[in-house]
Amino acid sequence: MNKILVLLTLTICAAVIFLVPPIKGLGDLAKIIFFHVPTAWVAVIAFFTSAFFAAKFLRTQDFSFDTLSARAARLGFVFVLLSTISGAIFSKLTWGAYWNWDPRQTTIFVLILIYGAYLTLRAAVSDEKVRAKVSAVYSLLSVLTVPFLVFILPRMYFSLHPSPVLNSAGRVEMDSVVLVVLIAAVVDATLIFIQLMRRRFF
Amino acid sequence: MKLFGSRCEQVAAIVRKDFVIGLRRRATFAAMMMFALTAVAALSLSTGGNFVEPKILAALLWVVIFFAAGAGISGTFDDEAQAGTLLTLKLYAAAQAVLFGKMAGVLLSLVTLTTFILPIFLILFDAAVENFFLLTATVLIGLIGLSAAGTLTAALTTSATVKGGLFPILLFPVTLPIFLPAIALTEAALTGAAFDVSSLVVVAAFDAILILASSILYDYL
Repeated sequence: MNKILVLLTLTICAAVIFLVPPIKGLGDLAKIIFFHVPTAWVAVIAFFTSAFFAAKFLRTQDFSFDTLSARAARLGFVFVLLSTISGAIFSKLTWGAYWNWDPRQTTIFVLILIYGAYLTLRAAVSDEKVRAKVSAVYSLLSVLTVPFLVFILPRMYFSLHPSPVLNSAGRVEMDSVVLVVLIAAVVDATLIFIQLMRRRFF
Repeated sequence: MKLFGSRCEQVAAIVRKDFVIGLRRRATFAAMMMFALTAVAALSLSTGGNFVEPKILAALLWVVIFFAAGAGISGTFDDEAQAGTLLTLKLYAAAQAVLFGKMAGVLLSLVTLTTFILPIFLILFDAAVENFFLLTATVLIGLIGLSAAGTLTAALTTSATVKGGLFPILLFPVTLPIFLPAIALTEAALTGAAFDVSSLVVVAAFDAILILASSILYDYL
């Protein structure tokens, strides 16, 4: 599995460098978008994974679910940082500033804060049983902000961020080569996340 | 109906108990008030009596309320945790009654805090309120959400060994959906501009969600 993933990742890197046409007026660095989108995707997936295992822990009181919930949060924290940094670089290229509190930037920053708060809480509670309960409750509490961040905030503030590939019009407005590589990158990142969840690296 | 009545009695008893203890040891409450006063004084002094835009004023007001609340309500469960009597309290009254009693107490102290600090804030910044009704409504529904999320967060942090700063870190992301619309509404109340009623509805709806979620999640603690 590891070998396949390394191969897939290298293939995607090569495709991004050689196959994808350069983006008009932005230069080669703009290809960081192929890193930004998959990491952002995994950061969000990891958030829901962590909450899912938190709910499972509260129902069953099985501590292996707590371990999984914590691992998803740690991985999510790494991915959300990578995504934020790559997003800021892309933002500098396209919008002219690293940061301007665009709704999407707010969303990802809140995600950083939530992950950070969750991990700080875990570090601050020494009793294992209490830590598992308390962090599971916080994980589920923080999920409540998702509808606000996704549906209400973008209505309150104007966003420059492009809409997702599957936008509300249901049309794909992207070059087919770019789209294929992007989807492959997202799948690859998801597989890397799953693989890391199965190991004890984190 | 009878059950509901006895629950209400339990909630009232817990509010009364905390109020009496709070009167006996005023330190927490005094700290919260003084924290808010110090923060407002620091902000007002450092802007040196210059005109501050209503948008910034509204943001400052909520930042002060948020952090003063952090200073005041983070220890909501500390008395019982230190004395080891939280379980006993849950035996006397249902766990839900304990939660709602604490929540009502927190809301009461936050309303008192805001009643105290808001006039001082407005005077020091020489700000006029154009829409008083909107300001009251915004503050009230904002504080309801803050106390719902704050009470559960306080329950989470009681067992933490590192306390300093943990409470606001945990509370901020969760209350952001209240924070942002509340600031926009407060700005509208200060300028008298037309405001978006749907923002009020959003905050109120989020209050309801937070109260419900706290009630469900507290049972697992």
